[in-house]
Amino acid sequence: MSDAAPGPAFSAHHVVEYTYRRSVGPVLGRFFTELRERRIVGIRRADGTVLVPPAEYDPDSGEALDEIVSVGPTGVVASWAWVRQPSAKHPLERPFAWALIRLDGADSSLLHAVDAGHESAMSTGMRVRPRWREATRGEIHDIECFEPEGAS
Amino acid sequence: MAQRCAVTGVGQTRHDNKRIDVSQFGLVREAAIRALEDAELTWSDIDALVIGKAPDLFEGVMMPELFLAEALGGTGKPMLRVHTAGSVGGATAIVAASLVEAGVHERVLTVSYEKQSESNAMWALSIRVPFQQAVVAGAGGFFAPLIRSYMRRSGAPEDTGIRVALKDRRNALKNPYAHLRFPDITFEQIADSPMLWDPIRYLETCPSSDGACAMVLASESVAKRARRTPAWVHATAMRSEPTQFAGRDQVNPQAGKDCAKDLYAKAGISDPRREIDCAEIYVPFSWFEPMWLENLGFADDREGWRMTYEGVTALDGDLPVNMSGGVLSSNPIGASGMLRFAEAANQVRGLAGEHQIQGAQRALGHAYGGGSQYFSMWIVGSEPR
Repeated sequence: MSDAAPGPAFSAHHVVEYTYRRSVGPVLGRFFTELRERRIVGIRRADGTVLVPPAEYDPDSGEALDEIVSVGPTGVVASWAWVRQPSAKHPLERPFAWALIRLDGADSSLLHAVDAGHESAMSTGMRVRPRWREATRGEIHDIECFEPEGAS
Repeated sequence: MAQRCAVTGVGQTRHDNKRIDVSQFGLVREAAIRALEDAELTWSDIDALVIGKAPDLFEGVMMPELFLAEALGGTGKPMLRVHTAGSVGGATAIVAASLVEAGVHERVLTVSYEKQSESNAMWALSIRVPFQQAVVAGAGGFFAPLIRSYMRRSGAPEDTGIRVALKDRRNALKNPYAHLRFPDITFEQIADSPMLWDPIRYLETCPSSDGACAMVLASESVAKRARRTPAWVHATAMRSEPTQFAGRDQVNPQAGKDCAKDLYAKAGISDPRREIDCAEIYVPFSWFEPMWLENLGFADDREGWRMTYEGVTALDGDLPVNMSGGVLSSNPIGASGMLRFAEAANQVRGLAGEHQIQGAQRALGHAYGGGSQYFSMWIVGSEPR
């Protein structure tokens, strides 16, 4: 065995980049198309409840779902967490809430940001409305965020 | 003693290069529904799900089985994901069969898929790695030298690969699910197609496909109540070996030979050429037909090309190979192995449609993956063994 000190360990920066496309299918495709028109839709299950975002197949029974229904655009905050220091990747530059929002007419909650200005303005059960992006593209970020319904 | 297991339902999608009409959910669903309808079962009859696909990298969805379970009626049921590179479709079916043979479940739904249009799988694995010479030649670039090596050692005529491609492309015209269809395809068209990776021509190469395959694996008591004829699983086998090691024969890998030997022993087959009526083997580049014929023990070493050349592997030959048109005609990678297994099953069920081999009683399904290093195979029969 050599008792010489080991040489420098080699390392290299290695970036693997790869591009993808996503085919969303007819149900989520409809959801995104409606967002572009500033409308929000869900899907009705056999028991009458409505899922938002819509699912192609019932999460319990596995049955195919096809009855698209309009929901919201307003709703209530079902649960939330305050983000004190937003990072560059967050949707808002100032403190905001991540919230589960139950849109009017829906039985499930949608995750989105709420711009309430201050944590003290947030509460479970508060009513919110979407703030739409100026140029919509057919994606979830067409809703910039939600804001308190009474806000000007 | 293992329990008997049979295929009672088979389904597949229409394969195409871009199935942008469906999500990944919709793609697996299309195959699964057809398998359930064939088996005359509903989602609630299924005890467990076994899902397979090639690397997650190919679609960029990590562990897609987690979100696919609900599209496959998997809520509240055991679900398992299998991955063994290109052989995964076969390995997935074998895992599903094992659950039935072990007496754990009575009805297992197994599904495999790839949605290649969501990325570019041909190049996904050809990345530049630090400190290594980057070949960046794609899958064809990896296999081309193995084919050239086979040509040298066997002395096979240069046009053997063209003959395989012509046969498989003509067979595909009889398969309504096949991706590539070239009506009136000729030897000259294949011979004149561009040389992609010498000696592999464009028309000797598999396509990039979106597609899925599904099967219902059932216990003996369930299979005996099935209205349509089941395919009985006589034997399954899997083997693997490292991509590279000193002395490895990459053209005729030991793992493949061992796998076939084990398979035939379990199925009670002593002369595969005589005792097997037809075979669906994983041939992504035409020359792999003669190469695998040797590896599978259907021909002596260096003699596999003669079977192709003499028409033995044609639909009217005495050992038809790739009746469906094979991987050369449809290649949704993760599903490609299962499609081979499913075609073998449908042949012995007598349900293979226009490409049915009359009286097929015993068939081989074969898949390989990685750098010719993973093998999965099964033998199915029209009668229980």
